[in-house]
Amino acid sequence: MDFDFNEQQNMLKTMARDFLSKECTKARVHELDKDEKGYDPDMLAKMAELGWTGLIFPEQYGGTGADLLDLVVLMEEMGRNILPGPFFSTVALCAIPIIKYATPTQKAKYLPPIANGQAIWSLALTERSGRFEPSEIHCSANYDGKNYLINGEKWFSQYAHVADYLLVVCRTGEAKRNGDDLTVFIVKAKSRGIKMELIPTIAGDGQCRLRFTNVKVSKRDILGKVGKGWKVVDYLMQRAIVLKCAEVSGACQAVMDMTQAYAKDRVQFDKPIGAFMAIQHKLVDMLTDVEGLQYLVYYAAWLLSTGAKADMPVSVAKARANEVYQRVCIDGIKIHGAIGFTMDHDIGCYFRRVKAAEFMLGDTDLHLEKVALGIGL
Amino acid sequence: MDFKFAEKEEKLRDEVRKFAISEMRGKQVVSGMEEESRDEDWEFSMQMSKKLAQKGWLTMAWPREYGGRDASFFEQHVYINEASYWGIPGSTMGVSGIGWVGPSLMIFGNEEQRKKYIPPIAAGDPDGVWCTAYSEPNAGSDFANIQTRAIKNGDEYILNGQKIWTSCAHRARWCWLAVRTDPAVTKKQHGISLIILDMKSPGITINPIVNYAGIHIFNELFFDNVRVPVANLVGTENRGWYHLMQSLAFERHSIAPQFYGMAQRSLEFIVDYCKVTQYNGKQLAADPLVRHKLAERAIELDMLKMFGYEITWKMSKGVIPIYEAARNKAYCDYVMQRLATTGTDVIGAYAQVDIRSKWSKIKGNITRLYMMFPGLSVAAGTDEVQKNIVGQFKLGLPRSY
Ligand SMILES: Cc1cc2nc3c(=O)[nH]c(=O)nc-3n(C[C@H](O)[C@H](O)[C@H](O)COP(=O)(O)OP(=O)(O)OC[C@H]3O[C@@H](n4cnc5c(N)ncnc54)[C@H](O)[C@@H]3O)c2cc1C
Repeated sequence: MDFDFNEQQNMLKTMARDFLSKECTKARVHELDKDEKGYDPDMLAKMAELGWTGLIFPEQYGGTGADLLDLVVLMEEMGRNILPGPFFSTVALCAIPIIKYATPTQKAKYLPPIANGQAIWSLALTERSGRFEPSEIHCSANYDGKNYLINGEKWFSQYAHVADYLLVVCRTGEAKRNGDDLTVFIVKAKSRGIKMELIPTIAGDGQCRLRFTNVKVSKRDILGKVGKGWKVVDYLMQRAIVLKCAEVSGACQAVMDMTQAYAKDRVQFDKPIGAFMAIQHKLVDMLTDVEGLQYLVYYAAWLLSTGAKADMPVSVAKARANEVYQRVCIDGIKIHGAIGFTMDHDIGCYFRRVKAAEFMLGDTDLHLEKVALGIGL
Repeated sequence: MDFKFAEKEEKLRDEVRKFAISEMRGKQVVSGMEEESRDEDWEFSMQMSKKLAQKGWLTMAWPREYGGRDASFFEQHVYINEASYWGIPGSTMGVSGIGWVGPSLMIFGNEEQRKKYIPPIAAGDPDGVWCTAYSEPNAGSDFANIQTRAIKNGDEYILNGQKIWTSCAHRARWCWLAVRTDPAVTKKQHGISLIILDMKSPGITINPIVNYAGIHIFNELFFDNVRVPVANLVGTENRGWYHLMQSLAFERHSIAPQFYGMAQRSLEFIVDYCKVTQYNGKQLAADPLVRHKLAERAIELDMLKMFGYEITWKMSKGVIPIYEAARNKAYCDYVMQRLATTGTDVIGAYAQVDIRSKWSKIKGNITRLYMMFPGLSVAAGTDEVQKNIVGQFKLGLPRSY
């Protein structure tokens, strides 16, 4: 048993914290929230130079061969600082399944540009319902003897508007609940027949609605096997969920820290408000939530990095992350009083992202259901 | 026992409903805070205030001589509840004037002040729009800690200092202002006075403060040698704290019927949404999980409704509610939080869509409630402060701070 990070992970953490606190200030986050592109290309380039975009790639594709736990360390820091932009969609949602399922030719073509920070990717999975189940996928890809033709809609695709490539999950056969007959395609984002619109969100986090009309894709651009697309999705979801949870966990730690500091600093009735038991106990509950979430995330990440099956721990972490992020933000704001309700205060930046994180990769009910399955119900 | 409203009150409810439907034409759905509105919406609000005044509803519980119609607390309850159910803008005119300035002036204002300031409020005029400036950077929950100074100089006070979180200051004609007139006191509750400030006075700077959802509700006020006639002192000099305690009671008693109306409408919207939304080939409304969550919210709302009835009934018996108002405020905050979180859960991914987007569900109302409830819970006294009041005044427990 060992709860500590290794030396390399500690170095990564320190480096990430230094870099992000310098480059990704809250003022910059505010600007980017309102920016059409929603990210800073220079910052992304610098992150690529630091080796972050290719962190978990095999060395032959320009990476450093690190594992999921290392990326968890990084995501936690990104969550703590709120890094806006397509890092998550490119690396967690798209590169991870490419590393696992792509052919050597595909890997050689697609991974190095991601590692270099030159390519942005977006996952086009969810549709009108915004839900992450195979039954919700209707977008179709029909083979005409030469090519596949994609028709349908995708909703809430992150940073698709600035992406070079999309991973599009399509139905390639009869609709079935268990996800057979789904296939994942690699599609150039600027392909003819794709229309994109930005969905304005409270987080301003670059989510798009895509419409596909007879978008031509070659057989060569299938990721994994025809009809086995949900396996790819399931694989990427488990890992991306853990990474999203790490991001949320980092955000929760930041909210905890700023609230704790404020409770020591803010004086009312001639005492720091942290001296009032009502406030102190709320902070203690926050701490329990935050520490507990952190360990659930590490546990799920560790299991995955050992190659073990982790369905239930992953869902435990996500269901918990959804709840904790919301609770910590609400209590944090209330402990701040009116100042927590303002645009100038950092805490609102976190609160504005609660719903995005919650519905990304499965809401609480979906994951509670998986936990129910996990305990034998 | 009898939990029915009288026929007169039911008739009033009906009239307000008809008025809302014919006048609003889908303009606004669930009321939040009027002062959050943009300029064009504010203009519409003011037109509605005027119409509500003409109907005799705006300040219906006030005596006739002040532009009211001596309506009972029950009638007022029904009106407030219904107006907030429909989200009729203008029904509170930025809150302060109707909520507490008018009633306070009737109790401790002088005749001249009543004549000058009450009629424009009751008439729904722009000159009847008030803001309230109590809070300062170092005086929030501990609001006796205020430092803004008013120094008497002949027949004027000279004001210097800073207020913060002043809702509606950017719309208000007048400000209901708490200042320190005597700093050399042993107890900080002493030496506070209440003053009517003309918002057009030279020396006032108003800086907007935008909330985290990008909405401008409140402001920062700076006073630089602002001159106020001594005639604008309300009540007795240095006794402001005690006047204010009475004012605050007015502020809180209508919270339950008001929030109940808004919450009830929101719940109905969510229920309707569940009926027309399919998921996995089934109506959301058929999902036992969704059903139970919404049923729990309905139970919470029923309790809120009873608290609202109870406080109105007590007032009709001449009881001044103290702990009840505090209990209701704290409970309202709880109910709103539960409703907003359940509502956004039900709406799913669309809950994160910007409230003004064509893709937002239920016209953005639930998302708006979600973004606003933490602020609403802090405004007019936090949860902890309300619970401190209940603990002390109802349970007779020793002061906890
Ligand atoms: C939307 C909005 C509108 C507002 N409009 C106005 C307005 O028009 N005019 C005006 O004057 N003010 C207004 N306010 C200010 C409001 O009255 C104050 O925010 C409120 O009184 C709390 O003060 P504070 O924000 O300084 O928080 P603080 O008093 O600093 O409180 C911080 C935290 O400490 C807790 N705390 C404080 N004292 C105790 C205690 N004794 N025991 C336990 N916990 C305690 C609080 O509950 C809170 O959680 C508004 C606020 C908001 C959010």
